[in-house]
Amino acid sequence: MRSLERRQVLKTASLAGLGLLLPPELLRAAPSPRDAEDVAGRGRWLVFTAHQAAVVEEATARLIPGPLDDPSERGHPGAREADVTRYIDTMLGALSLSPAKVFAGGPFSNRAGNPSDDMAEFIGLTPGQAYGWKRRIAGWRHQYSVGIASLDRAAGGSFIRATAAERDAVLARNEEGFVSLLFAHAIEGMYSNPEYGGNAGLVGWRDIKFPGDVQPRGYSDAEVSRSDGPDRYEPAGAAAKLLNLIKISNGR
Amino acid sequence: MVLAEGGHDVTILEKGRNYFSELVSARPGTVFSNDELKSDRNFAEADPIAEPRVFRTSPSDAHPFVGSVQALPQTVGGGAVHWDAKTPRYWDIDFKKLSLLGPITGAAIEDWPFSYDEIAPAYSEIETLIGVQGDVAALPELTLSHAPRSGSFPMPPGPAQYSSLVVAKGCERIGLHPFPAAMAINSRAYDGRPVCNNCGFCSDYGCPIVARIGALAPLRRALLAGAELSDRSWVVSIEWSGRRATGVSVMDESGRRHSLSADLVVVGANPIETVRLALLSRLPDPHGATGRHLMFHWFTDGSGIFFDERLHAYRGRDHTHDIDDFADPDFPGARKAANAAGLPYFRAGKVEMGGSDRPLGEAQEYQQILSYVEPHKPFGTAFKQLMRASLLRDRLLGLVLMGEDLPYPTNLVDLDPVHRDFRGLPVPRVTYSPGRYELAAQAFYMPWLTKMLDAAGAQVSIAVPQQSSSRFPISAGNVPQTDHMMGGMRMGTDPATSVTDATGRHHQLDNVFIADGSVFPSSGGHNPTLTIMATALHNARQWL
Repeated sequence: MRSLERRQVLKTASLAGLGLLLPPELLRAAPSPRDAEDVAGRGRWLVFTAHQAAVVEEATARLIPGPLDDPSERGHPGAREADVTRYIDTMLGALSLSPAKVFAGGPFSNRAGNPSDDMAEFIGLTPGQAYGWKRRIAGWRHQYSVGIASLDRAAGGSFIRATAAERDAVLARNEEGFVSLLFAHAIEGMYSNPEYGGNAGLVGWRDIKFPGDVQPRGYSDAEVSRSDGPDRYEPAGAAAKLLNLIKISNGR
Repeated sequence: MVLAEGGHDVTILEKGRNYFSELVSARPGTVFSNDELKSDRNFAEADPIAEPRVFRTSPSDAHPFVGSVQALPQTVGGGAVHWDAKTPRYWDIDFKKLSLLGPITGAAIEDWPFSYDEIAPAYSEIETLIGVQGDVAALPELTLSHAPRSGSFPMPPGPAQYSSLVVAKGCERIGLHPFPAAMAINSRAYDGRPVCNNCGFCSDYGCPIVARIGALAPLRRALLAGAELSDRSWVVSIEWSGRRATGVSVMDESGRRHSLSADLVVVGANPIETVRLALLSRLPDPHGATGRHLMFHWFTDGSGIFFDERLHAYRGRDHTHDIDDFADPDFPGARKAANAAGLPYFRAGKVEMGGSDRPLGEAQEYQQILSYVEPHKPFGTAFKQLMRASLLRDRLLGLVLMGEDLPYPTNLVDLDPVHRDFRGLPVPRVTYSPGRYELAAQAFYMPWLTKMLDAAGAQVSIAVPQQSSSRFPISAGNVPQTDHMMGGMRMGTDPATSVTDATGRHHQLDNVFIADGSVFPSSGGHNPTLTIMATALHNARQWL
């Protein structure tokens, strides 16, 4: 935990230092809003307090662990590396931005041959969408506020000071369903288009061999029609249990 | 298109926004994209908090659902913005179901006012207009005998999807008849629009390169003929007096209302919203027929899991092959099984073969599954291992069986007495459950889905109803989300049992016409959109 906080401080400091050397035009074209905000010295989070962000970061890193969180995930980035906390904070603060950061634009990002990233320009909400998202986000913000406090309480005062095993036990209790909500949002932050604030460096997609958005390049006819070749999987762990569950339900 | 080109002054009012630019050009621009989260967040549909619908299985349902029910895009282009554009024709026995297949107790089986042969020219015209790919030579005899074709498709099939090929081979091994699906997607440059580049974001996604034009093709023709398009214009009532509509009341995005007068009003808002508009407008309904005989298609999903290879169904156009065998009332064993269930016959419908899930959908499934299989730690490395193994996405081969829905007077849309949308208007309430016909056909064909997947080489196969029922209480969900909607304003010659006449004209209002799937007297066992467009074209030609 403490090493993480130091890591973040170092990252922020080095970016700020870099910022001083760069002309302002380049800063405006900085790759992620996080960097731009840090450099500009504004608050690091739209919605979260530093403590809330730390709890969300540590909790989502247990739900979707990376190499720092679980030795068996070596080489496999997780929620921490994908910047899931940034995704969630952006979602909870989406309506404070203009245009609201709810629906990324289109038709193309710059990841598959288009020179610019159309998705970085968000699309304004209709009155119906604004009505729905205002209520949806207000509900979530309340759940996060209460849920983060309950994680701390269940961990004996401080979730981020608890051991990994203690954190897992607290999360497995899923008090008032908050962990289900957090996991659902962590999944979105892990595997959605990076314009929404998560999936940093496309680590979520890369870990599962998903190419993500591919327009305007697309796939060749051969890529569509041919086998990629043998790729044997031996069911183990949760997957074996899942397959067993299917077999039982088929037998019924 | 027909009215504008026929010299009428046409104003097209669309409730939602226009996410396209240059609609009069051959190739419009768009903001639709490869973005699963945007789709999950209902970018193109009504927001389910602002504009919910109510769903119940019967009037005695103690727990009605409030939220997203059969939500189609609410944008310029409508349901044809967001589809994978599968465009089979309905069959002769769909149009003359009562005459050719006979009545079923409890259901209002009727013939359509026109036959397959009468609508066939409109089918051909629409297929050319929107650009349909397919291969007549590869169509099974069964399909051609029920839906004969006079010429070839406008385009040949595009590249077959690997997953679809795998299951097509399996089908052949067990005596079924797979074929390249008809679809309104460019397999070559067509009418100024590019060839599809197989991005894989098809069903539920607007096409980023507009290789799939859909309803925008006739819209373009209408605009070129002088029609005016007004988006963000929500028709909240049809104003009428005596036997004539005088115009419509329109609400803009700020909530302000104004009236537009009209000599002729055509409604195409999809069955649920069209019925809602009729009820909000208190259109005359002396026999209480409005909203009844709603049909959805009763879907069953099949999933085959492959351990030896990844099937990469995320590339392509959702799926590329179908079978029609299960739409045949005389499929081996079907009559006997129907008789055993107390029915003279039953049909299911076509099977779409080869689709899969996307990462967010897959991950959400694992989140649920882990709470069962790893209750002490339903997250962590176990989750990530599942995502990397991708049993439910990259190693999954999906089947979707459409089941023909019968028209029951008890399946209906009305206005919910309690819930209102964010503008204060009553929301539609759907009352729907399957009958003996749908459940018996599902029970008969469900084992066939696993048989097909086994024959394709899947290590594990499973078939599950999309919606739970008395017969199959455990299933994927409780609320229908098939996106196929038919009935509610059915065509017919008898005003006591239908809402519109043989051309979709309202029985009680001489200048109100319905031009969407709500006029269908029966549901067929195939995707309805091509038939919706062909019916609108066939009917509109008779309004002038």
